[in-house]
Amino acid sequence: MSAYYDENELDDNVPLSGSLLHKLGGVIKPHWRTLLGGVLGIALVAVADAVFTYLHKEILDAAIIAGNKTVLWKLFEYYIALVVIQSIAVFLFVYFIGLQGERIRYDLRKKLFDHLQRLSLSYFSKTPLGWIMSRVTSDTEKMGDLLTWGIVDSTWASVNILFASIFMFIINWRLAILVVLSLPVMLFVAIKFRKRIYYHYRLSRKANSKMTASMNENITGVRVVKALRREEKNLENFKVLSSDMFNSSYRAAFLSALFLPTIQTISAFSLAMVLWQGGIMVENSFITIGGLQAFISYIMMILWPVQDLARVYAEMQNAVASSERVFSLLETIPSITDFPDTVEITSLLGDVDFQNVSFHYEDDEPVIRDLSFHVPQGNTVALVGPTGGGKTTIVNLLCRFYEPSEGVILVNGQDYQDFKLKDIQSRIGVVLQTPHLFSGTILENIRYGRLDATDAQIEEVAKLSGAHEFITSFEHGYQQDVGEGGNLLSVGQKQLISIARALLANPDIFVMDEATSSVDTLTEALIQKGMHQLMEGRTSFIIAHRLSTIKHADQIMVINAGRIEEQGTHETLMRVKGHYYNLYTHQFRQELETRLDPFNSKNNEDSRRN
Amino acid sequence: MAQKAHTYPPCDMQCVISSKPLISLWHLISGFHWQYFGATFFAGTAALARTGVNLFLGYFIDQILIKRQYGTKLIEAALIFAALIAGQAFSSFMSGKLAAQTGEGSTRRLRDYLFNHIQRLSFAYHSEAKTGDLLERATSDVDTLRRFFSDQAIGIGRITLIFIINLTAIYRINPRLAGISVVIVPVILVVSLLFFKQLSKSYASYQEQEAVLTTNLQENLSGVRVVKAFARQGYEIDKFEGNNAEKLRRGEKLNMMHALFWPISDLICAAQQITSSFIAALMAIDGVITVGNFIAFAGLLGWLIWPVRNLGRLIVDTSRALVSFKRITNILKVPEENLFIASCQPENGVKGDISFDHVSFEYEKNHPVLQDVNFSCKAGQVVALLGSTGSGKTSLVKLLPRFYEVTSGRILLDGVNLNEYSRDFLRSQIGIVEQEPFLFSASIRDNITYGMKHEVSQAKVEEVARDAAIHDVVESFTNGYDTLVGERGVTLSGGQKQRVAIARALLINPRILILDDSTSSVDMETEVQIRAALENLMKDRTTFIIAHRIQSIMDADLILVFDQGRIIQSGTHAELLSQPGAYQEIYEIQTRIDNALQEEIDNVSLL
Ligand SMILES: Nc1ncnc2c1ncn2[C@@H]1O[C@H](COP(=O)(O)OP(=O)(O)OP(=O)(O)O)[C@@H](O)[C@H]1O
Ligand SMILES: Nc1ncnc2c1ncn2[C@@H]1O[C@H](COP(=O)(O)OP(=O)(O)OP(=O)(O)O)[C@@H](O)[C@H]1O
Ligand SMILES: [Mg+2]
Ligand SMILES: [Mg+2]
Repeated sequence: MSAYYDENELDDNVPLSGSLLHKLGGVIKPHWRTLLGGVLGIALVAVADAVFTYLHKEILDAAIIAGNKTVLWKLFEYYIALVVIQSIAVFLFVYFIGLQGERIRYDLRKKLFDHLQRLSLSYFSKTPLGWIMSRVTSDTEKMGDLLTWGIVDSTWASVNILFASIFMFIINWRLAILVVLSLPVMLFVAIKFRKRIYYHYRLSRKANSKMTASMNENITGVRVVKALRREEKNLENFKVLSSDMFNSSYRAAFLSALFLPTIQTISAFSLAMVLWQGGIMVENSFITIGGLQAFISYIMMILWPVQDLARVYAEMQNAVASSERVFSLLETIPSITDFPDTVEITSLLGDVDFQNVSFHYEDDEPVIRDLSFHVPQGNTVALVGPTGGGKTTIVNLLCRFYEPSEGVILVNGQDYQDFKLKDIQSRIGVVLQTPHLFSGTILENIRYGRLDATDAQIEEVAKLSGAHEFITSFEHGYQQDVGEGGNLLSVGQKQLISIARALLANPDIFVMDEATSSVDTLTEALIQKGMHQLMEGRTSFIIAHRLSTIKHADQIMVINAGRIEEQGTHETLMRVKGHYYNLYTHQFRQELETRLDPFNSKNNEDSRRN
Repeated sequence: MAQKAHTYPPCDMQCVISSKPLISLWHLISGFHWQYFGATFFAGTAALARTGVNLFLGYFIDQILIKRQYGTKLIEAALIFAALIAGQAFSSFMSGKLAAQTGEGSTRRLRDYLFNHIQRLSFAYHSEAKTGDLLERATSDVDTLRRFFSDQAIGIGRITLIFIINLTAIYRINPRLAGISVVIVPVILVVSLLFFKQLSKSYASYQEQEAVLTTNLQENLSGVRVVKAFARQGYEIDKFEGNNAEKLRRGEKLNMMHALFWPISDLICAAQQITSSFIAALMAIDGVITVGNFIAFAGLLGWLIWPVRNLGRLIVDTSRALVSFKRITNILKVPEENLFIASCQPENGVKGDISFDHVSFEYEKNHPVLQDVNFSCKAGQVVALLGSTGSGKTSLVKLLPRFYEVTSGRILLDGVNLNEYSRDFLRSQIGIVEQEPFLFSASIRDNITYGMKHEVSQAKVEEVARDAAIHDVVESFTNGYDTLVGERGVTLSGGQKQRVAIARALLINPRILILDDSTSSVDMETEVQIRAALENLMKDRTTFIIAHRIQSIMDADLILVFDQGRIIQSGTHAELLSQPGAYQEIYEIQTRIDNALQEEIDNVSLL
């Protein structure tokens, strides 16, 4: 059902470009010490691994076959020393690389989160939440892996292959050539395999994120699912997704199971060759028994670096794609930012002017058209009008969630784009049309309006907003848990808490976007009484559909299709008998008349039959 | 979407739940038991072949190289080597393949089951549960189980087999050596068990922090409008920074444990290896064992020691899988809402007579939300609910489709107790428009047709859209009905969302329609338009309207005024207006216009 998945996850075949490398370098740069420590550690481990095999050969040839116990002692001393050195190297590399991984991930998460806080609302209404989440969670993981294990594993593998080859050449160059020649074949097959595996693995990741998205939507929308009895169909759809997931991840697991055995079988050929040729050489004393045994070990072990290289290579492509996505998010320019020469302000008090403001969310779908109005400081303005007319959009513009595509908005005679975003938004108290509460207690939610507010102040605004009464009737009072998104409260209760939260912010401009649409009339009247004092001196914008909410406003604007259709006080608008009059009086009357008037009802009956 | 066959062996998940977790896990892979055995069997043969390679190496050196038996024997030996390795390769492939079948197959079945199970849990469960938590269980806990079945469940058996086979082989070479070689094994096992136990604690705390961080992020993103409205970016950044730093701290601790464990256990294992090899080397020099035996032994020894270190990891991973499994069974144990059990199911649907008989209801014990509610209405009537915030209006209408069950009293539908109808049937008869409508991130058409079991014609969609007064708006969008609405419908205005939800409810053609504050964001004019359409549609159907505007409800056949869970007034508009009380007061506030103005308007309208 869900319309977006990680579409971007599809373009995984991003080449590792120079600019990307540069950016990755920037990520590693602060951590070059740990990286260096880790790489040195792992290189030492790899060298030690190769030396061990050589030591085995010596033990066999120089001590055992030669029957020399003194040499044996000596060699075992080396052996012990090497074990200790390697353990230290293991400690260093695990420690440094692990540390580096954690720190890089920490850095990336921090950068992403900080950047997200700067992005504008337009970004969030277009980008699915799940998509952003996976950038911050899984992509940073993958990038962290690339910049740590990717580097370490490939270092280990190459150093290991290098030193193993050196020792093999020392032992016997002819056999060594035989082995080294088989390496490219193994590597080629391994990379081919790994790519296939990774391809299916990626498909399964994709299937997995679709599955998770579908499950997520099914849980968040479970009430609708139940009310409309969609269970069967949703299960059907889900089964398609889960079987996609099964197919690709089984495929990946199958290939993984086949992968090492195949490489092993290839190495079995070179092993057989080495045994055969090596045996002949032993016969002619070109090689010792220990030497041959060392070769066998090298061949059997070279599997691991080969498979590591192949894995890093295959995963790298994916990690590169992850990095691209992370960087592209970091480079997304917020559509609304502070301009260079902002002026400091201490208050937003003053007249508010819209001058020839036009605005659209989508190109060629204008929402606000050439809108101008003037609101003197301290006035209360009511915005009314048909739904979809653009009232909420005006609020969005006023709070600078969006900026006009044409025209200017002035506060106190100055273009509000000259101010800092933070200065504007911290001085406007807005109650949004869809009340949103955070998980947590009622107290925490109200306090969000002003973080240093005392409990007494919170109680005070709760009283003003008419919330105090119901809050105290709860078992835990202000400590009552509101549930996810405020699930455990009634809608009206959520609205009252949102109002309290905005009041607490003590704003210069107050905006209520249908803030009391679900609040009963008596409570609303109560709030209005208290708010009246509170509004004193502040400029307020109120959007509502109920007459009782708006009729006291100093100015009422009827907004229709992004334009002001009528403007004035309640009295003047009533007198002009226009749109406003129709909305609030005429309809009311007509309703009554229709029901009293027999002819009209006849007409109605007729139209019903048609 | 293309239909594919989703077949897998059946499994009754409810019988999976047992007090013995290991038995439960065994049930969970029912239908895959042979694959599981197969995987373990091939793991065994792989170990055998592997041991064979080492033993044969010893034989090769003693019998061929040292005895100088070259020629064809050499080629033969080389071939046997290759064959053994190929045999090992084939066995590990088979083992891996069968393990994947077990793991992937049984978890896919579990996933489907969980998805279905979760969507059939009660409303009460869902309002308490956290989305992120449910999701976590259905995804990453299931994944932990998958890894368990395709890795650890077989790994433990495999390592044990490897140990036994290699020990036997060493014993055959020299019993004393075998004894010496296993001295440290218990130490390794204990050390690694202790370590991994500790590690899994640290890991759990690390993961917990990860969950905290994810929830933090999710809350921040879903409340982004509030964050911006209050310019709380700084606060949010600090909060996230705190959690992020804590994760770093726990990660560093975890990392330190790893950094210490691997070299230390390396040293312990190496101590064993060095001692044993040294003794074996002395034996070889003294001729107690042959050179070939020494080489074979050296190879076998590694397979005796190192896997044991992993055994600790596997055992602890298993306990982690058990924890995940328990979290999953905790969901499985919650009974599903029964959709189909019924003793009454009228073929032609219900008529719509409803009566509430001393109904009380509470979400939590001893916190009544509805108390002693009594009223009744005839089919085709309009019942309006008005009342203070939090007085239980929404709760009342949620009882009708049996989203919740009454605590006491009963609700009769056509004279039959509501709980004699199946939930599925009731929901097919009732259309409910929720107070905060939820739209899916899909096209407008998909959202409107969400409740339909079959394809719906465009004409039909347009018809209900017209009735909900949303058609013209949709037509004005560039993409019309294919316009995608953002998550939860963010790209629509408040009133547009509500009307899409109304269209969605109308499309299922319900006998009972519930409009819970569904026109609160719709202007009067549009509302009148909708009501006119509804009037036609709902002529012989029962309608419940919750609203705060008197104009929205004044022509209802029955108006119920609620306060604190009780009906404090009831009657028609005219009746209620004529008696003092809340209704009158509300009416007053909503219609009061200054007298002078009133007069003037009256004069104007007379003209
Ligand atoms: N984020 C968005 N992206 C694209 N279009 C949008 C977005 N938000 C709103 N719109 C469109 O802009 C128009 C005006 O919407 P707005 O929310 O301002 O209306 P409104 O007057 O507040 O209506 P209501 O009374 O129903 O809340 C609508 O057609 C709506 O679909
Ligand atoms: N899922 C829930 N769990 C626990 N308590 C709840 C739940 N939903 C609502 N409540 C509580 O039950 C009471 C009644 O809520 P309800 O939603 O029925 O009110 P309402 O009359 O619809 O109010 P409104 O007009 O604000 O929508 C409220 O006090 C609310 O906090
Ligand atoms: Mg709006
Ligand atoms: Mg309600």
